[in-house]
Formats: sequence, structure tokens, C-alpha cells
Amino acid sequence: MGRRIVLWIVVAVLAAVGLAPILIMLAKSVIVDGWLSLEFYSRLASSPRQWTLLGNSLILAALTTLLTAVVGLPLGVLLGKTDLPFRRGFATLFSIPLVLPAYVTAVSWFDLLGRDGLLARIAGAAAARETSNWLFGLPGCVLVLFSTFLPIVMLLTMVYLTTVSPRLEEAARLVGGWPRTLRGVTIPLILPGVLLAVLLVFLLTLGEFGVPSFLRYDVFPVESFIQFSAFYNFGAATAAAIPLALITLGVLVVERIFLREKTYQLRPAPQGVGRPSIELGPAGRWGFFAAVAVLCLVIVVAPLLVLVIQSTSPSVYLDALARAGDSLLRSVAFAALGATLLTVLGVLTGYLIHTRALSCWRVVDSLTIFLFALPSTVIGIGLVSLWNRPATNFIYATPLIIVLGYVAQYTGLTSRIMVSTLGQIPPSMEEAAQMAGGRWFRRFSLIIAPLAGRGVAAAWLVAYIFCLRDVGITMMVYPPGMETFPVRIFTLMANGRPSLIAAMCVILVAATVIPLTLLRFVFRPARPV
Amino acid sequence: MNIIEVQSVSKVYGDRAAVSGFSLNVAQGERIALLGPSGCGKTTVLRLLAGLAVPDSGRILIDGAAVATEGRNLREPEERNLGMVFQDLALWPHLTVRGNLEFGLKARRVPAGERRHKVRKMLERVRMAPYLNAKPATLSGGQQQRVALARALVLEPRVLLMDEPLSSLDIELNVRLRREILKLQGALGFALLYVTHDREEAFDMGVRVIVMSGGRMAWAGSVEDARDYFATTSPTP
Amino acid sequence: MNKVMGPIVVVGVVATLVGLGCRRGGTAPSGEVVVYVSEDQVFSEPILNDFERETGVRVRAVYDTEEAKSTGAMNRLIAEKNNPQADVYWANEPIRAELLKQRGVSAPYVSPNAAGIPRAFKDPAGYWTGFSARARVLVVNRKLADKPDSILAYVDPRLKGRAVITNPLFGTTTSQVAALFAIWGDARGRDFMNRMKDNGVRVSTNNGESADFVASGACAFSLVDSDDVVNRVRQGRPIEMVYPDQKPGQVGCMIVPNAVMLIRGAPHPDNARQLIDYLLSRETERKLAFAACAQIPLHHGVSVPTEVLPVEKIKTMEVDYAAVARTMQDIQPFLKQWVGY
Repeated sequence: MGRRIVLWIVVAVLAAVGLAPILIMLAKSVIVDGWLSLEFYSRLASSPRQWTLLGNSLILAALTTLLTAVVGLPLGVLLGKTDLPFRRGFATLFSIPLVLPAYVTAVSWFDLLGRDGLLARIAGAAAARETSNWLFGLPGCVLVLFSTFLPIVMLLTMVYLTTVSPRLEEAARLVGGWPRTLRGVTIPLILPGVLLAVLLVFLLTLGEFGVPSFLRYDVFPVESFIQFSAFYNFGAATAAAIPLALITLGVLVVERIFLREKTYQLRPAPQGVGRPSIELGPAGRWGFFAAVAVLCLVIVVAPLLVLVIQSTSPSVYLDALARAGDSLLRSVAFAALGATLLTVLGVLTGYLIHTRALSCWRVVDSLTIFLFALPSTVIGIGLVSLWNRPATNFIYATPLIIVLGYVAQYTGLTSRIMVSTLGQIPPSMEEAAQMAGGRWFRRFSLIIAPLAGRGVAAAWLVAYIFCLRDVGITMMVYPPGMETFPVRIFTLMANGRPSLIAAMCVILVAATVIPLTLLRFVFRPARPV
Repeated sequence: MNIIEVQSVSKVYGDRAAVSGFSLNVAQGERIALLGPSGCGKTTVLRLLAGLAVPDSGRILIDGAAVATEGRNLREPEERNLGMVFQDLALWPHLTVRGNLEFGLKARRVPAGERRHKVRKMLERVRMAPYLNAKPATLSGGQQQRVALARALVLEPRVLLMDEPLSSLDIELNVRLRREILKLQGALGFALLYVTHDREEAFDMGVRVIVMSGGRMAWAGSVEDARDYFATTSPTP
Repeated sequence: MNKVMGPIVVVGVVATLVGLGCRRGGTAPSGEVVVYVSEDQVFSEPILNDFERETGVRVRAVYDTEEAKSTGAMNRLIAEKNNPQADVYWANEPIRAELLKQRGVSAPYVSPNAAGIPRAFKDPAGYWTGFSARARVLVVNRKLADKPDSILAYVDPRLKGRAVITNPLFGTTTSQVAALFAIWGDARGRDFMNRMKDNGVRVSTNNGESADFVASGACAFSLVDSDDVVNRVRQGRPIEMVYPDQKPGQVGCMIVPNAVMLIRGAPHPDNARQLIDYLLSRETERKLAFAACAQIPLHHGVSVPTEVLPVEKIKTMEVDYAAVARTMQDIQPFLKQWVGY
């Protein structure tokens, strides 16, 4: 029964860290002037404007998700499964926009394509006016969010490609070439992982407020934001966030209906050490290289170059480092700690959901995704309300509260990555360990966890990136004097020199690229699972 | 006394009855072949015995004590001390052959020296001693089979469950391995419950043959009687 | 445990130690003070660093972002009311200070250095005290031939479609609009806003953005804070600053001081009072006048650079900040609808 105890502890932790703050906020949303009331909700539902905004959000989310899926899946295959030159470099480069706060990317595009931007200096005012008009609105939002969230689909595709048994592909290649094999065997096998990535992009875009606000495209989350920022009305703000969460639950239901089957692997290949990689041939190699390079230039290098150009000189970087103070080291430390906790929790939660070990597995899955989709301010204020008491000062007045915030917001991420990873492991692996007398903890730590190794590493990296780039939760709860680097960038943006801000953003990118290079150890061609 | 008693056990998946009112006794050292086409429920019977599935009705007893009853397991698989060889072998690819065999011994806290001795002896029995430190992926199909067998037997189970373990091997290797399994059975004295869809294999491995169809026991008897049975009745599809 | 979880757990442990050990400087013998700051960090941080250096009291700060990017300091103060973490709040305008007073977040403290601050810029009971003000000015693109000198330019048909205003739901623009409503009355206020909208005004997300639009030529003028203009003029952008409505009979230029207050239940009340005294000193006002924000001292006779007009030289809008705070809450539903939400 060790399994049940451990998993119930995990559920308790999730309830305390994630559910409790939300319940407090939900309570605030149904209490008006001391009485129980659904006034905030009815006001929301009866406003035609809110429905328009919701429609806008859904359109933005749908377009962005579609684009990231259509581009991200083939890109993931090219970078994870072929002999494309410089593929690891490309993987790192494409991941950079995810690291930066999306708002910063939007500003970079403005500096590039705005009326007074770099393009105006190169191609003239008329061209810049055209691009500026295009940028401010739905197309600009889609461009910025596409470049920001493309790495999610790309990276998860690459991770799941490594779990496909080469034998299955070899069997298909005997009757057809690689295109048919990819279409008929490889991609269907990694579909759960790809759909997870698509779900994440959809939710992230749905809840995105900063970029559409800057690019003048009115979206639904603005109502929640206004209730916080202008009216300081926590109840109304929470009520305004709930529709997003309900949509999330709806998407989850649809997802469960379509993804009921799991895929099993057969025996590992008897000989052979590498996994088959697609040889593109000379024409294909350079053709695809050019295409990927152009995409990289447009959506990654161009805005990054704008930042580098704006940062102008080495002295600005010295100033930026001085301004960063120890917030940079803190960011890395908090993100690493957060990622570790998220990974441990995600592995256990993912196991719970995958094996349906407890009857509440659906509730746990829904709760973690629900929390991922909720605006960070709602979670943040909930955390303050819950933990800001003299008795819990040892949590609230320390960086632990930031890490708790990460756990509340991002467990859905690591949990779902692990669900998809565990789905690739044949159940007979754990069953054999059971038959050999291994109790749950031994089976889990010696058999399941190692077999899920790549997924665990990927979960840690993804969690690290999200914790590092986080501004919403951190801003609400960080102990005074312990702000993180992205928060510092945001606060210094108010009348800070553009060159200084640009330099700080470049430093942030550099600080994240180091663990990204660890990706090479995850995606190294290796023994088949 | 019977080691295993299965009392009218049923198992339903969705709206399909995989096993229906199945009863069986397994005595010490007995060899039983469970024969039938795909989907007849023979693998489900094995999984119910192992504890990897829970019966919807009926009881399962090991050494006279109930280990499973309607709707729940009273003893988990890791507590039943049954050996099992899976259809896909389920060798752990990240562990060496030694690691695969030592896993169960470590779970029982067998001291290191004794562990090494048992592993070596068992690998010698299956003629895989030179491959102690090899990873399963580097072994041939037949070699992997033998390691899977060794892994189950190193724990000295009184009953070995085998789920169509040789179905993917060529006929020569298949026959050779059957001989080896029978030799081991003779030497170590474990009861054998062998699931297959191949008649000749069933006649070879079992002393008693149970024919399953549609989740039920269609026929049971000795190998000789089984030959007559199949000669007179139309072959099961 | 195994090759993957092992390194991850090690990283986590190291990160914990580093994160918890990351503190600015060492422990201060005189204790510490916690201040939440809504004034731009680039301007406020140097002042707080000076305080720390001169007094030995360690400052731990929470800074705010521009209005439309996030919901930081104010919401934290309100949420933390029952167990305050902050000692002092440095607001960048008095309306927020008034709101906090109404919600019972602040406590009265009359600093000795407040004596030199004119009565119009402080709460009578000492719940907040103003210092180092900005003026709400017009930022005008230098290329514009006929430069506007009144906020009524927003409803001038000759300038149709050429103006930008910061979202009036946030920040100092809210205060300004509320002040106009308080002075003109509800009917005239609504009429002004509606005519402004009919005149094709653009809405930006913050004052800096408004100033950037004017500087880039996308718009001709906007109503922003003086520090947004001075900052950009010093960066060489082609803009000018105009103090609006200075003629007789006109409403005058709104002055928006910073406001500092003591938090009720502050964990370090003595250090809090010491910091408040420091912020309200003539020396602090002098520094903020000469900094990039070029803020206007409220103490008379503080030396200022040439770009900064002393407050005595400006015809100021007559504002009762408490009344403006109340008006603001009344007109917020109208403003929300005006912006289009």
C-alpha cells in the first residue's frame, strides 16, 4: 500500500498549494458586500462586449495554435529525426523567444516594424507605415505569440520522437519510404505528446494579456486585469477569470474523448544501437536547411538582433549587469528549485493520472490544467490570502512562497509531460517488476523512473524555462528585496533607457541558453527504449 | 494440496466477458497448457492468477489462503511469489542481464554474495553465463527468452506462468527452448501454467490440457485425450 | 536513485541553498525597512540606496511596473492588509494614497519635514504627505506648427485624429480625468470625454508609450507626466513640453506629487518613520529634481535645473485629492465603458 500513501500525499500537497488559494478567490467572487451573490458573474454574462472579447481570445488562440502545430511538428521532426546540418543550434535558437517575456518580443517587433523602427530607416516611412498597421492587431499578435510558443510544440515533438521504437519504423520502411512511415507510424505514435503541446499553446494564448494589450487587440483577460489594476476588486477579477478556466475544462473533456487509446511498444530491437535518422540527401538537406534558416532569421534572429543593436555598447551591458545585481542568480536558483519540485511532483502526479491509481485521478488532472490556465494574478492573490499569516511567515516571507507559486501554476505542465512519457512505457515493464516481488517504491524508482528518464529531463527543462520567465506569479508574492531578473526588467522598463532594457533582455536569454544546451544530452541518438 | 485454486472466476472488460465462470486447480509440479485462439481469455486467466487483474466474481486461493476475491486483490502480485514470463518478455532495457536477475533478489534482501551465486547458477542453467553484463538490446531473440526465463526462475517460484513466450521464434529455436524449459521444470520442480494458441506446443508443454473458448473452459483432459478430442471435433477457429 | 533524478535533486538542493543565501549585502546593524514603491525604479532606487548608505538601515523594496503591464504594489498592499509586510508605501500619486487610506491600509504620521510642504499637497491628518511632483503636461511633436497650449486641444476639430491619451482607467491619467470631473462637474466632464472620442483620439497603455507615439510622429500631442517628457528630451527625441492652461480663466496645470505613507501595523515602525523623514527632506527633492525624472520640489527654495519650473511659477490646478479620489471611484464605470471594455 506504499503507493496509495505516497499518491495521497501528492494529492494533499496539490490541494494545499494549488486548490486552497483558488477556493479562497472563488469565495471572494461570490461574496458581494458581505452577502452571497452571483452578481459579478451575471454582470459578465450579460455584457455583449465580454462575449465579443471572448470570441477575440478564442480566434487568437485558435490561429496561434494552428500555426504552431502546422510549423512546429515538421520542425520538430526535422530537428529531431533527420541529418539536417546545425540542427541542435536551430533547436536552441528557436527556443529563445520562449525564454523572453512575450511582451519584450512584442516590443522588439515594434522596434523593428513600427513607424519609427529599424525597417523605416532601411526601407522608408511608407513601408514602415504598412508594417506598423499590420503589426497592431490580430496578425501582429499571432506573429508574436507564434514565435513565443512555437518552441513548445517543437521541443515536445523532439522529445517524443525519441521514445518511438525503431523497430516499428523499420517495419514500415520495408513497405514504404520515410514520408509514409512518418505519416502512418511515427506521428500517430507521438500524437498524445503533440496534442499535449497543442493544448498548452492554446491555453497559454487564451490567457495572454500583455501582448494583445500592447498590440491593440482586445481580448478577454483584460476584464480580469482591469478589475485588479483599476478597481482593486479581487472578487470581480476572479469572476472574470473563471470563463477561461471553464473553457479549459471543456477542452480537456474533448481531449479525453479523442485520446482514449494508449499506444504500446513491442520488444526492443535485437541488434542495433542507434535510432534510424532520416537521410535528407544533398538537395533535401540544403533545401530544408535554407527553409529552416529563413524561418529562424525571421522569427528569432530579427527581433533578437533588434535587442542587440539597441543595447549599443559593452558599457551598457556592464550597467545592465550592475542593475541586475543578484537578481540574476536568484532567478536561476529559484527556477532550478522550482523546476526540481515541479518535476518530482509532476512525475508522481503523472503516474497517478496515467495509471489511474486513485479514483480522483480525473479531478487531479483537471485541477492542474485548470491552475495552468488561470491568470497568475488570481493565483498570486490567493497565495497571499492563504499564506500571509504570522504562523506561516516562515513560508510567506521567504523565497519558498515564489516556489509555491510556481508549483501551483505549472504542475499541469510537468504532470502532462510525464503522462505522455509514461504512456510510451509498456505496462509489462512494471508488471514484471511486481512479479519479481518489487514493492511500489522500488519499482517506481528503479524501473519506471529510469525508463521515463528522457521525459523527466524534458519536464525539468520545460519547467525551468517557465519558472525563469515567470513574471505574473513572482510579481505578486516575492519577498521585498528578492525580485527575480524578469521582474526587474519589467520594473526598470518604466522610463528605463531602451538600451539598458535591451541589454538586460540579452542577458536573460544568455542565462537560459546554458541549460538549453543540456538538451543535447536529451536528444543524443541513443539506445532504443 | 493444490498450490493454486481458482473458483469460478469471471472478468468483464467493458461489455465483453473475457473470462466466465472459470475454475482450475494446480497441484505441485504439475504441467498445464492453456490452449485456445486469440481472445479466448487465456491471457486474462494468467493475469488474474498473477494479481495483475482483479476478478469480478469468484475466488483465487494460493496454498489454501484467498489472494483474490470479488472486486479486490487480497494479496498484491509482488506478494504471491509466482514467476511469470510475459509475451513481450519485458526485459528492462536499462539494466544488464545481471541487473534484471538481481532486481527480485534485492527486493527480498538477499545478501550480495548469495545473490551473485544464485544469478550465476541460473544463468549457467540457461547457458547465458557469458552475457552477465550485456544489455538486453544486444541479445538475440532466443537469448532474450532465456534471460526472461532465468529472471523468473532465479526467485525459485513454485509456479511459473508463461504467456505465449515462444510465439515469435522460428520453429527450430522454439522446439529447442521448449526442451530447455521442460528440463528446467524437471530439475527445479515448479508447476508450469503455459498459455499458447499452438496445439503441438500445448501437447508438448502440458501434461494436462485445458481448451478455452469464449472465456470459458471448453474442454479439459490429458494430452492423449486432447489428441482424440481434436481429431473428432472440428478445429477451433 | 538513478541517472536522471539524481542530478535533478542535487541541482534542486544547491539551488535552494543559493536562493536562500542570496541577500543584498550583509545584515545591517540598524535593522531594516520594507518599502513598496510605485515611483519608477530607475528614479526611486538611487534615493533608497542613498538612504541605506547614509543611515545603515537596510532597505528591502518591492517595485511596481507601468500601469498596464501588471497589478503589483497596490494589490499586494491591499491583500496583505491583515498581516502587513511593508512599512512604507511610496506612491507616485496621491489618489492611490487616498484609496489606501479609505481601505484602512495606512496609518497617520506627520513628519517634521512635512512642515515645509504646502497644505494642498498633504493629507490633513497625516495619512500621506506629498513631495517631488510631476506636472501633467502636453508633450508636443516639434514639427507641429500650431502647438496646443490647453487640454481642450483634445476636442479641437483642427487636431482631429492627431492626439493620443493614456488609458484613463490607469495611473495619473485617471487622476487627471477625475480632477476635471471634480472641477467641471459630471455633465461637462462626460461631454469633454465623449467629444474627445468623437475627435478620433488614440488610447495608449501608459504615459511612456504616449510620449513615444508623439516622438515618432505617429501623433501630434498627448497629455503625459513631465518626467516622461524630460527623460525623452534628454535622449534627444524631437519633442517639447508645454504646461497647459496657464492663461487667466483656464483651469491650470495639474500637479501630481509623489505621496509617502506609513503602513498600519508596519513591522519596523521606527525605521519607517526615519525613511519617511528622509524622503520628505529638501535634499531628496533636490536629487529628484536633478535626476532624469526632473521632478518639481514642493519645498520652496530648493535648487532646480533649468528645465524644471519651480512650482511657484506654474499656475496649478486647484485640486482636493480626497475629493478627486472619491470622484474617481464614481466615474470608473463610465471610464470603463468609454475605453470600450
